[in-house]
Amino acid sequence: MKGIIFCKRTMKEILRDPLSYIFCLAFPLVMLVIMSVVNESIPKQANMTVFQIRNLAPGIAYFGLTFIMLFICIQVSKDRSTALIMRLHASPMKSKDFILGYTLSVIVLALLQLLITFAASFATAVAVGTKLPVTGVLLSIVCLLPSAIMFISVGMIFGTLIGEKAAPGICSIIITVVGMVGGVWMDVDNMKGVILSVSRVFPFYHGVKLARLALAGEYAEMGQPLLVVCAWMLGLYLLAIAVMNGKLKKDTY
Amino acid sequence: MAKAVEIKNLRKEYGAKVAVNNISFAVEEDTLFALLGVNGAGKTTTIKMLTGLASPTSGDAIVLGHSIVKEKDKVKEIVNLSPQETSIAPNLTVRENLEFMAGIYGMDKEKIARRTQEMIEMFSLAEVEKCRAKTLSGGWQRKVSIAMALITEPKLLFLDEPTLGLDVLARRELWAVIKRLKTEVTVVLTTHYMEEVEALADAVAIMVNGEVKAIGTIDELLAQTGKQNLEEAFVEIAANA
Repeated sequence: MKGIIFCKRTMKEILRDPLSYIFCLAFPLVMLVIMSVVNESIPKQANMTVFQIRNLAPGIAYFGLTFIMLFICIQVSKDRSTALIMRLHASPMKSKDFILGYTLSVIVLALLQLLITFAASFATAVAVGTKLPVTGVLLSIVCLLPSAIMFISVGMIFGTLIGEKAAPGICSIIITVVGMVGGVWMDVDNMKGVILSVSRVFPFYHGVKLARLALAGEYAEMGQPLLVVCAWMLGLYLLAIAVMNGKLKKDTY
Repeated sequence: MAKAVEIKNLRKEYGAKVAVNNISFAVEEDTLFALLGVNGAGKTTTIKMLTGLASPTSGDAIVLGHSIVKEKDKVKEIVNLSPQETSIAPNLTVRENLEFMAGIYGMDKEKIARRTQEMIEMFSLAEVEKCRAKTLSGGWQRKVSIAMALITEPKLLFLDEPTLGLDVLARRELWAVIKRLKTEVTVVLTTHYMEEVEALADAVAIMVNGEVKAIGTIDELLAQTGKQNLEEAFVEIAANA
């Protein structure tokens, strides 16, 4: 119950910051429109499919989750820098309440972001004369949730370990890496070589691939990326719990 | 009179630095007790230990019948703290801040609504209750911060430098609020303002370099040092420490 109350407070803090709307909602939508226009300008002979709406929508939805990471990272580090957290440490709240509160608050935000991004993708698809399968979209959203939890975990880890000023910088590096090796903005499968090998090391490539496969209805291919994404999610969430627990104990010592 | 706090040889070390050095004293229930000292005297560290924020290196304190070493969780349920820095959720309104704290301490909806209204009336917060906390002046924020501590019905309230950084009018207004609190709850207050102690405290302990150098009522301290006012008495005690 304390975790839920803390979650409501954290949601209000994030939703009342205008930057949340710019980065969490407006930015993915702007990218969707821009990349759709870019796709229309690419000659068909180029055989470049990464910006086609069926690939672009899950890619941007995945990319949008990195901003959720940024926001929870900033929120955690901001909380740590205020005396409010001292007051909460002196209250009956336990570390599990903090972790639950932070996680739930941004999971809701992530789900909202995914729904809005895919709703906009439907409209974009109609505008460019194609359609997105409803079942595929719904499954794609479900498949993006483990990645959302993974990004939230990363946000909580960095928010706990680094200060408010360094948080946006560190998260920007991760956002850039996701864009590069996740295959959101370039077709790493066709590039092959070192870039594909590097991409496969990180969970981002698998997360984007999983969302695209789900949307395309290629269920038989989904097992391996799903396994990789869930393993990273579990590992990083456990790490986030350990880091936050450790920091809380250290702070209150 | 019953004891709200009994401190027994409490010590806190941070590495090689001794922040609090084997202090022992008691605070009686339903009084306002002041910990007076210059910056770095160990006042805040003492409060951190008494509220469960820091673990003592050695010694113990019994807070309302519970050990801060063995029953830290129980102590956290029955005491509350208004920290030195303003500690409010900046994007929440005044009313939401109060409701948030009441919820954290496990109150049901009905009680949250009742206690919130009581705090708004007690601290005269009606005109700012819908304002986001970050938009308030320092004086208002400090009042909200204390209201957030009191809403949880603590049996013992710690106020860490409650008027630090406030202008004279805001300070006087807050003193009036704190005086009213004395009728409801035992208060332990830290400060380095002599006039604050003179205006508010029933008893005072003077801390110097992590040690309690004198303790008693203001009259007792004046008699002990042969001085005319608390500031001179404090200087005398600190100089001889």
